[in-house]
Amino acid sequence: MTGYVPPEFSVEIAEEQTRCTVRVAGELDYDTSDELVETVVVLLRHRPRTSAVRLDFSGLTWIDSSGLSALLMIRRTTSAIGAVLCLDNRPGFLDQRLRLTDILDHLTGPAMSAAPHGLGEEDDTTRAGVT
Amino acid sequence: MVGRAPGVPLLVCAFRGSPASPRNAAAHVGAVWSEAPCPVLVVDRHGALVQLNRAARSLLPRACGGVRLADIAPSWLSDAHRHMAAGEPGVSPGPLTGSIDERHFEAYPSPSAEGGVVWWLVDGTDRHRAEEALHSAQERSSVLAEASSRLLATLNVPRCMEVTAAMAAEHLAEAAVLVAPPHGRRHTLTYAHRGGPVSQVTRKIDPRGVAGLSEALQGYPPVPARWINPDDIPDWLIPEGFTEPVGSVIIAPLPGHGVPAGALVLLRSSTRKCFSDGEEAFARLFAARAGAALSAARLYTEQAAITATLMRELLPPVLERVHGVEYAAGYRPAKDHERVGGDFYDFHPGADPTQETLVVLGDVAGKGLDAAVLTGKIRNTLHALLPLAADHQQVLSLLNGALLTSHHARFATLVLASVSRRGGWVQARLTSAGHMPPLIVRNSGEVEEAATRGTLVGALPEVSACTVETTLAPGETCLLYTDGITEARGGPLGDEFFGEDRLRRALAECVGMPAEAVVERVQMLAAQWLGGGRHDDMAVLAISAPKTGPLSVVGGEVRHAHNRRSR
Repeated sequence: MTGYVPPEFSVEIAEEQTRCTVRVAGELDYDTSDELVETVVVLLRHRPRTSAVRLDFSGLTWIDSSGLSALLMIRRTTSAIGAVLCLDNRPGFLDQRLRLTDILDHLTGPAMSAAPHGLGEEDDTTRAGVT
Repeated sequence: MVGRAPGVPLLVCAFRGSPASPRNAAAHVGAVWSEAPCPVLVVDRHGALVQLNRAARSLLPRACGGVRLADIAPSWLSDAHRHMAAGEPGVSPGPLTGSIDERHFEAYPSPSAEGGVVWWLVDGTDRHRAEEALHSAQERSSVLAEASSRLLATLNVPRCMEVTAAMAAEHLAEAAVLVAPPHGRRHTLTYAHRGGPVSQVTRKIDPRGVAGLSEALQGYPPVPARWINPDDIPDWLIPEGFTEPVGSVIIAPLPGHGVPAGALVLLRSSTRKCFSDGEEAFARLFAARAGAALSAARLYTEQAAITATLMRELLPPVLERVHGVEYAAGYRPAKDHERVGGDFYDFHPGADPTQETLVVLGDVAGKGLDAAVLTGKIRNTLHALLPLAADHQQVLSLLNGALLTSHHARFATLVLASVSRRGGWVQARLTSAGHMPPLIVRNSGEVEEAATRGTLVGALPEVSACTVETTLAPGETCLLYTDGITEARGGPLGDEFFGEDRLRRALAECVGMPAEAVVERVQMLAAQWLGGGRHDDMAVLAISAPKTGPLSVVGGEVRHAHNRRSR
């Protein structure tokens, strides 16, 4: 059995006038998530007028819970300066994780307020299984 | 004494020969030597002084012609002369050396007339001192090197104290006592006596009774040895076997990292010479090394104890059969040498069989001790929220509020299960907070996913979740697990996830198995899949309705057992 070697993690930044795109490639996990948060925090510190940050995940090969934690941290940073966060080109596994943990709406919601989660249709206790 | 047997007549001979011999001998040696800067003595073969130059006269003021060499010079010189005159070979191969009035001389003989000897004395005091200094410096540095290597080889505090005391008794004094800083009011004392065993006792002592000891224990600069009265040394500071009266004492502080590491007391008996300034300075050097090593060992021991205490708190509980429901769980941390990590489970049995038992399994983002500390916080909070367990959403909301912090977005995902037995069946309310929903193994071989969904806790201001209720027939199992299982990377090529499908297939083969067997089976398959590969924390917890429960007071249970048997 050959040892598994993960593809190289990389973060690339493309800046436009009031928006910037951060291309994330490789595995976003315990070892790499700090690097992504640090990159975005430094970027926004120098560009306080940014109105939108796009995270482009087309090169993402894996994400774990530390990676989700990094996205939540980035969301706090963008909210603080009133910028929107967009998660583009999400691979299936990322979507699945965002759905499972129920944070997609929060991450991509309106900039200034943390999206209130309507308990709405989920509030009713669903019954399943043998009764 | 054998050579001296004819000694008595020798004395007579010397007197008889003396009037004639000086002139002859002097004539042979010549007059130049009398002005030589080094002491020169002309001695006849009977040991009587014939002549000496000015330098010799100032060295040996009592010397004059006709006096016996043995009466005015030290024995090393007069003995050598006797051997020389008797024609015996010299005892040592090198130059003859010895001291006269605290100065060190080398004596070179040259033969003179009629068996007489001219002794040329060369003052080698400075060289001798330099050699002695070099020798003792070499010895000390080798002692220090040995101390460092022996002391640094252990991080065990008692062992470190033993080595320090033993080495001090061996190289610095006759006996040594290491007084450790107090634990409450008691001090650990380590005694060493040269050539004897090292012993350790812990007892109540009063360091103020010894000049310089309480200061040394507080890390103040050392009191000079000459200020300490040996008579004041109490009995508890004297090792067993050290019977002679104490002659001199050194009390050296053992400097530690920030806090003193204790004090080293060195003892010498009154029959030996007192500690010199040089020895005192060396004792401090030794104490500095020993203090650093002891302090490192103590810090390490304290850290290890703190970690062990924390770990004990964070270790997962042992699950067992409670109120007619089987529970089993297994946990494997990411690093096999750590016993805790980011996955956790907990177990709160109901007060009686009618009360629900709360089971929780979850996963904290991150790894290692950082994550483990957060799992501890979650487990404690949930424990406190136990009275509210009838409403899982409320519990999760309150837990979320308790975990929210601006410092980080470290969150947790978890599943709550409130379980109780109703007749032969087991009822469970299941709620997932952003976690993989539990899998239910039906007796039909079908593996169902519980339809519960919810928000992770600890990162967002508000969370929501939906609870499902399910029932387990006897033999059916509900499995809670963390993504360490499904994301175990391995397989034939080492790069494939174990995955949910494989887990479901494995569970389908576990129909009717008791909870413990299901947990073991899942853990074993995941471990096999991993091979030797790296993995995340893995936790698994199974809740089963026993196939043949014990006869209980619950009517349904008895009927059910009968039904099964009659089939």
